[in-house]
Amino acid sequence: MTPSTSTDKPRSLPDLLRNHDGKLTQELVLRPGDFGLGKVPARLKPDATTTVVCGFCSTGCGLNVHLKDGQAINLTPTTDYPVNLGMACPKGWEAITPLHAPDRATTPLLRNAKGELEPVDWDTAMQVFTVRFKAIQDKFGKDSVAWIGTGQICTEEMAFLGALGKFGMGMIHGDGNTRQCMATAVAAYKQSFGFDAPPFTYADFEQSDVIVLVGSNLCIAHPIMWQRVLRNRNNPEIIVVDPRKTETAMAATQHYAIAPKSDLKLLYGLAHILIERDWINRDYITAHTTSFDEFAAFVKPFTPETVAPDCGLSVDQLLHFAETIHRGRRVSFWWTMGVNQGHEATRTAQAIINLALMTGNIGRPGTGANSITGQCNAMGSRLFSNTTNLLGGHDFLNPAHRTKVAGILGIDPALVPDQNSWAYDQIVQGIDDGKIKGLWVIATNASHSWIHQSKFVEILKKLDFLVVQDMYHTTETAREADLVLPAAAWGEKEGTFINSERRYGLVKKISKAPGEALADFSIFKLVAHYWGCGALFRDWTSPEAVFQIMKRLSKDQPCDITGIRDYRMLDECGGVQWPLAANDVEELNGSRVKEGSITTLPHFNPSTLQPVAPLPERRLFEDGRYFHPDGRAKFMFESPRNALEVPDAGYPLQLLTGRGTSAQWHTQTRTSKSAVLRKLYPGNIYIEINPADARQLGIRAQQKVAVSSRRGTIHATAFVTATVQAGQVFIPMHYEETNRLTFPSFDPYSRQPSYKACAVSVAPVVG
Amino acid sequence: MPDPSHEPLTLIDELIAQQRSLTAVSKFARAQEHHALPAQARHYRDLIPLSKPQAGQQYAFEVALDKCSGCKACVTACHSLNGLDEEETWRSVGLLHGGTHLQPIQQTVTTACHHCVDPGCLNGCPVLAYEKDSTTGIVKHLDDQCIGCQYCVLKCPYDVPKYSERLGIVRKCDMCSSRLASGEAPACVQACPNEAIKITLVETASVSESYRSKTAGEQVRKRESEQDHQAHFPTFSPAPFLPGSPNPSVTLPTTRYTSAKPLHESLRPADAHELKPQCAHTPLGIMLVLSQLSVGMFTTERILSLTSSDLIAPLRPALTLTALVIGLAALASSTLHLGRPLGAWRAFLGLRRSWLSREIIVFGLFTKLALLYTGAIWFPQFASPTIETTLGWATALSGLLGVFCSAMLYHDTRRDFWRLRWSGAKFFGTTALLGASMTLPILSTASAANPLLPLLGALTLLFGTLKLATELPILRSLQAEDYSPLHKTALLLTGQLGLLHRCRIALGVVGGVILPILFALQLTSSVAISPALILLEAIAITLLCLAGELIERRLFFVAVQPLQMPGGVTA
Repeated sequence: MTPSTSTDKPRSLPDLLRNHDGKLTQELVLRPGDFGLGKVPARLKPDATTTVVCGFCSTGCGLNVHLKDGQAINLTPTTDYPVNLGMACPKGWEAITPLHAPDRATTPLLRNAKGELEPVDWDTAMQVFTVRFKAIQDKFGKDSVAWIGTGQICTEEMAFLGALGKFGMGMIHGDGNTRQCMATAVAAYKQSFGFDAPPFTYADFEQSDVIVLVGSNLCIAHPIMWQRVLRNRNNPEIIVVDPRKTETAMAATQHYAIAPKSDLKLLYGLAHILIERDWINRDYITAHTTSFDEFAAFVKPFTPETVAPDCGLSVDQLLHFAETIHRGRRVSFWWTMGVNQGHEATRTAQAIINLALMTGNIGRPGTGANSITGQCNAMGSRLFSNTTNLLGGHDFLNPAHRTKVAGILGIDPALVPDQNSWAYDQIVQGIDDGKIKGLWVIATNASHSWIHQSKFVEILKKLDFLVVQDMYHTTETAREADLVLPAAAWGEKEGTFINSERRYGLVKKISKAPGEALADFSIFKLVAHYWGCGALFRDWTSPEAVFQIMKRLSKDQPCDITGIRDYRMLDECGGVQWPLAANDVEELNGSRVKEGSITTLPHFNPSTLQPVAPLPERRLFEDGRYFHPDGRAKFMFESPRNALEVPDAGYPLQLLTGRGTSAQWHTQTRTSKSAVLRKLYPGNIYIEINPADARQLGIRAQQKVAVSSRRGTIHATAFVTATVQAGQVFIPMHYEETNRLTFPSFDPYSRQPSYKACAVSVAPVVG
Repeated sequence: MPDPSHEPLTLIDELIAQQRSLTAVSKFARAQEHHALPAQARHYRDLIPLSKPQAGQQYAFEVALDKCSGCKACVTACHSLNGLDEEETWRSVGLLHGGTHLQPIQQTVTTACHHCVDPGCLNGCPVLAYEKDSTTGIVKHLDDQCIGCQYCVLKCPYDVPKYSERLGIVRKCDMCSSRLASGEAPACVQACPNEAIKITLVETASVSESYRSKTAGEQVRKRESEQDHQAHFPTFSPAPFLPGSPNPSVTLPTTRYTSAKPLHESLRPADAHELKPQCAHTPLGIMLVLSQLSVGMFTTERILSLTSSDLIAPLRPALTLTALVIGLAALASSTLHLGRPLGAWRAFLGLRRSWLSREIIVFGLFTKLALLYTGAIWFPQFASPTIETTLGWATALSGLLGVFCSAMLYHDTRRDFWRLRWSGAKFFGTTALLGASMTLPILSTASAANPLLPLLGALTLLFGTLKLATELPILRSLQAEDYSPLHKTALLLTGQLGLLHRCRIALGVVGGVILPILFALQLTSSVAISPALILLEAIAITLLCLAGELIERRLFFVAVQPLQMPGGVTA
């Protein structure tokens, strides 16, 4: 091995004096990695590779895992995966590292008489689990035990949990942490389109000539989607609506730094201008929508002159914004948590949908009213967690749906509840009210992430029995548990995730779970067995078997996936977007190319050279048919309301929260386990504050400050920066303290918490 | 409910067994594929040059700042694709921010080794463990040559070389030279989702021209005088490099930062206000103080000899032996600093450019001379008085030259708190003060009536006072309030390091001022003083001064502000 080019040349000094090679040099030598890889570290040369979909966010990147003896030793982003095209964010690059953290839960832990968590075997754990929950149910009713799930486990596992909880254990109430990220998009789409159906495909980022991002710091929260924006060759106008000058706002061609929570007014104001100037697509409106006239009448009072001051913009800015939409031939609208986490979030999301509908910017390449999802499997939860929806996007309140689902599962229809679950906040309220006595928390860190955290932690203490199922025994929530069930993590099990653009991707087993940790799937199987309802799940033998059940559940639904043969097909295709009905596939075998569709990555089976899959990028509503019974989309609107807590004399600043860096994920239970990721973000909580406010409050850069809301006081380091406006401050959500400040208000339709608006005061800490 | 006594255990065992078998390979692994080029090449083909550098050219990073959105994938890709240690990173991403109320600006900046035309690391390395490749211009670190002295870490204005405790050496970015050699892009280039990093060819002469020519220098001076308020930057950077970063004229970094937007010079690093104590380098601090003490004693001995050879003669054996032993202890302490001390014998290799090489060589000479001189004193039968005197002077002068090299080696890092004005004053101050104070007890042992004692006491008082007088003005930087390096040093000394700093002052005042005054007064008073008390006082002065200097030297290392590229938000 020649470690450097210079060794080929005559040396100026003999080796005795100057070592060009040796043990230390060899440590860093690179060798061709084969498998289509370039050079890799010699000691990490793989003997096989396989693509796994990433387990952090909803982008759903393909990660090419380098294997040695079946075990993951390194990874690189998959070059030909249609989502990420060979790129990944730092979390993806470091995806394997958190699996090896020393605080993995390796055995069930039971709280003993001394109040400490103590290792027990699975048999004991399962007996205690069953006995305690059954006792609670016997005493307080079946619905006194509930679960809080997640967007972080596989779809098959979510389905198992949902079916087990409701059909097997008789629970009524179960919800997930997806309530904190995607509930609004779900509610908005359901009401507007008739089904929770994000219409887009990532190629739309590349095909737009105007890209409107509302409440989305794409560069940081979804760097790989930003990559797609930069691959747009149309020199697009990029419009960012965000109170802060974020990384994305910096890269935009137009940034509207609106007043926090003025987005709904802004969007109605834009609709007003578009209608007023007849910058709308009347043909589309007539052919494919309902309630437009009512909407037009509704936005009449939202004149630029009334709206602009409330939004902190000028009339000219508003007009320019509207005109940019008008001039665009392919305008796509995108939103994330800035919209979803608001007190009138559903209507705000629908106001975006309305803009797309009225301008006909939907169903064509480069268009759409597009919700960017948060968690890796938020959409799996939306379709199959059996919480808000009955399995497969069905309705608990619809008797036909109950019978249909029971029939497919081969169970007694009476087992299917005929009422809806409580939402997360209602379950928490139920605990507070003494109606819920037992709680099972799966793969989420509620004691960190739930709004108004201190109250939540208090309420949790009212439970008779708290089970936490997690990969770490150290999460803030696990530490409070009566019983901890050790879960295998992403990469230690099989299943599917569904990403933002409706793409099913495959999770594979590429690393050994530590100790006796079990895949969530296996834990549910075990619970079913001990609970005595194992017979209901006779056919739920493996994740892939459940995937086949999911297919049957999806038949004739908008989310039909009967055309996806099996896991292998998902693997060969680089994931498949829903819908893909069985008859679609037959049609596909002609493999036609549609205008505007991405054709660079045809899916051919390498051995047969036959097309095996649909076009890798597909969008919804190309035919203008929506999922309401009348086939039309509906304009939804409602008068804006003020947030329930606004800055006042005592708490004069508005606190915004959000993603800190691309290296941090949610409550940091995983990202904090990688030494490299830890180097990429500040280790302790900080607060962004405008120089004018800092000056007025006597706060120096880097100084410790006390941040107080009506719910608590925390200490943080001041980062004085003009990127946050005067009168506002920003704290990243990843730090445990943040939610001690947040104000618990909820969107009435989606029940999603409003994390981005509460009033605080800031003062320097003396000494 | 099933009977959990037998069957469930089987299910648990079965599930655990299932969990332990890895299935990805058997079910999904890709077949071995052979390609001329890696699959990823389609993304980076246009991001690396088609041809090798011509004469006068070299490879360089070019960063399109408008495309850098701060995702930091480059950092992790570099880490994974180079197989670095768990905490080791060769690339980093900082943040510049500023602008106005109406137009706030933030700009993330990805940075790694700049593969400088005139590399500070290479110039400082005492063992020539750096090599600038004559074709590619890549500054490569020879890991097996490195002795772990970490001087390159101090010398690089961009904080590039990283020390590994595990290996006892530094390692750094080599622009993935072996990848480039086979037509692959460096890891960071391959991994940037936004194609913000590429490899280009630059003319080394033009890099020189833009940073070192007369016009470039004038521009810098002009801007410096126009924009006094910008003084908080470590050193002012001429426009072509990057705001908020060290002056490129020192090492001529080849990285080019490009942007369609003008990068306003008011932009400052997000970590500009961070006050972070630096590595204490304890063995180095001890080495410096002890070597200066040793040199100081030999020098004091020479100077006292000039005044009264007879009075000093009987004390020479004790004096020289003590000084020699302390000098050897300094040498031993310096080797404790090295990650791989066994290679230290190669330190002469860097003599041409490295002040560290010079320091090592000169102190090597000094200890040998000191040994000979002490030998000559102890065994006068083997050396004539002329030889003895010559050796004595040679020892003292070589020692003083060594102290000068020490001061220069820190001065050469261009850290403000280590400029010659500070390091020179400190090192020679220590030499003088400890040389005088350490001689006191030796003189006192012999006879309290030695007329040299008051003189030496007075000298100790003088040096002790001067030492503090040259050190304490650093606190004047507090008034600057500009977060310049010296201001930050002063803030550290009065803030986080306040207790230590106050201890240092107290020790300096008591040991170097108050006690010497008392000592001198007692010696000159008419009242008879017990010799034991004099000796006790002399020992107290020595120990307090020594302790004071050791703390001063710790603060010298801990309170300095390094040069570096813009960092991120810190908390």
